[in-house]
Amino acid sequence: MNLVVNGNAESGPGGSAEPVGKVTGWEVRDGAPALIAYSLGGGYPTPADPGPPARGSRFFSGGNSPLTSLAQDIVLPARGRTGRAHVDAGRVRYTLAGWLGGYAGQEDGARLSVEFRDGRGTPLALSVLGPVTAAERQSRTALVERTASAAVPPGARTARVLLVLTRSGGGTSNDGYADAISLTLTATGGDK
Amino acid sequence: MTGLDRRDLLKAAGAAGALNLAWPLSAGLSPAQAREAAEALGADYDPAPFTLGVASGDPQPHSVVLWTRLAPEPLAAEQRLPEIVEVEWVVAADPRMRRVVARGTVPASATLGHSVHVPVSGLSSGTRYWYAFKALGRTSRTGRTKTAPVGDIASVRFVAANCQAFHDGFYAAHRGIAREDVDFVLHLGDYIYEHGQVGGVPADVVRDHEGPAVFTVADYRRRHALYKGDASLRDAHAAHPWFLTWDDHEVANDYSGTGGGAPFLQRRAAAYQAWYENMPHRDAGTRSLPDPVIHRTRRWGGLLELTILDLRSYRSAQNLADGTILGAEQKSWLKRNVDGAPDSWHVWANSIMLSQLRGRPGGPYMFTDQWDGFLAEREEVLNHVHTSGLEDLVVVTGDWHSAFVDDIRPDFDDTSSPVIGTEFTAHSITSGAYSADWNRTNGPVMGAANPHLKYFEGNRYGYDVYEVTPRRFNDSDNAAGGTSQR
Repeated sequence: MNLVVNGNAESGPGGSAEPVGKVTGWEVRDGAPALIAYSLGGGYPTPADPGPPARGSRFFSGGNSPLTSLAQDIVLPARGRTGRAHVDAGRVRYTLAGWLGGYAGQEDGARLSVEFRDGRGTPLALSVLGPVTAAERQSRTALVERTASAAVPPGARTARVLLVLTRSGGGTSNDGYADAISLTLTATGGDK
Repeated sequence: MTGLDRRDLLKAAGAAGALNLAWPLSAGLSPAQAREAAEALGADYDPAPFTLGVASGDPQPHSVVLWTRLAPEPLAAEQRLPEIVEVEWVVAADPRMRRVVARGTVPASATLGHSVHVPVSGLSSGTRYWYAFKALGRTSRTGRTKTAPVGDIASVRFVAANCQAFHDGFYAAHRGIAREDVDFVLHLGDYIYEHGQVGGVPADVVRDHEGPAVFTVADYRRRHALYKGDASLRDAHAAHPWFLTWDDHEVANDYSGTGGGAPFLQRRAAAYQAWYENMPHRDAGTRSLPDPVIHRTRRWGGLLELTILDLRSYRSAQNLADGTILGAEQKSWLKRNVDGAPDSWHVWANSIMLSQLRGRPGGPYMFTDQWDGFLAEREEVLNHVHTSGLEDLVVVTGDWHSAFVDDIRPDFDDTSSPVIGTEFTAHSITSGAYSADWNRTNGPVMGAANPHLKYFEGNRYGYDVYEVTPRRFNDSDNAAGGTSQR
């Protein structure tokens, strides 16, 4: 199960290149993102550009701010096969995934990270994806998949997912793009 | 078999005509061999897995952060360790660790370089403690720390250190710091340098970086590990709690935290993550890694308020009319703190020079990477200090590899502008200073160009000790001349 709410930018206001003040499931920390429809055109990613194979209708972009960031604090499950007892026994792994990209040869970018914290907020684990460079996109407008997987450390109780969209150089459009963001937990070993 | 002794290594490298390449990660050396090579040429490490030592940081009245990082092969890109290693920690009221006051376990994750950061709470204020870690059947060295006092205190004594280029000398200054009787250490940045090798060992330099410029998390981890290969640095960490800020070389020379495209931002994130992994930093938690929050205010009893500034993460480009060195959020925070400041000494930990510095009378600023490149914001902040009535401001600065004492004025070009504080800029630990000739020629010129500049001394290396009482703020310059000595 994806623990990230609205990781595919499908919920809430948006659909154009106009920045939005609120995003369902996310706290807007810096700037203001735009949740752009793949059908918008105008140089933005289209359904024909590289991106998630089962993509929805919209993706995240950085809007018009040089730095736009969105955060989501997730309380890890208390019970079940990926619940606290199994986390504390070292039997749960996580996978962070997202499709990250940018525009043509520009170096605007999207960075996705997750920080696992204990009950007092101390960082216990970290995975960082991106930002994807123009070279990694072969200098074409595209979103490419990035994933990271690791053990959930014993004592972890929350996870903060952070999406940072950055503009480089001049212009107004922040063309860091992201879609299909997910954080999943997997039980490993026996159910003791 | 990884047997390499110093003589064999130097002989082989010399025969190849590439002594610099043998230091210490020439092609074909395994991590263990590389470590052995490093040790043969002067680096050394604590016993595994606590090779990088122990540290404590961010002391508060009832809490301090304990740090260590498991790195059995400190220069290896990947440690041969389980993905998660359980680390025990213990805090005692005596150096023999008999009167235990707190203990626990914490997981060390490979995703954070097997580092641990333990915020120990429930401690007594103004009290010395000792601490150690256990993991994989081994026990670390014992570290010593101290919590902040509360209420009226007679004095505080602390050290400021900065700029410790590994290739420029040995850490005699850190050996001195380790032996000082101080309450805490304040590091003002340039803890590591990001560039590649600078010359051959021992022909050109006493020691050198382990490889080319660093870009990835693995690169920066290795660079931090190299720097902690100087026992004096580990001793200084183990002896005192540290407060930390950073300057540019923790990432890249003269960088702006808000500039650059995706390739640079990949590098910056890697550098920030590795910095966190290798420092006794208590992250504020208001944002999240890999962007640690460094700026904060701490108090040492009722005597001293310490304001730690981050002059890299949020700065714009230099020389813009609306440029910022603090960023909007940190600037607002700083001004609010000035408004609500207690009646005490106010010390700003400031990585890069605040005071104006012209190269010749009426001439251009010498370096606009420092506050001179952010004129409007400096004027706004200093005017706010003045109009708010803040008194007893002392700014402690690094970066310049030389010692300065400046009067701080809201308008440095107006000698009738009020003096609202003093800036002490400290010598570097090792990073290369200007020559004695340069100082003789340029010192008087700088003095004439900057009437607020009261003292200048270059070509020496060391650290400053500050002794503060309710009535006096004394700066002792503990510097050695010429080149830094072992």
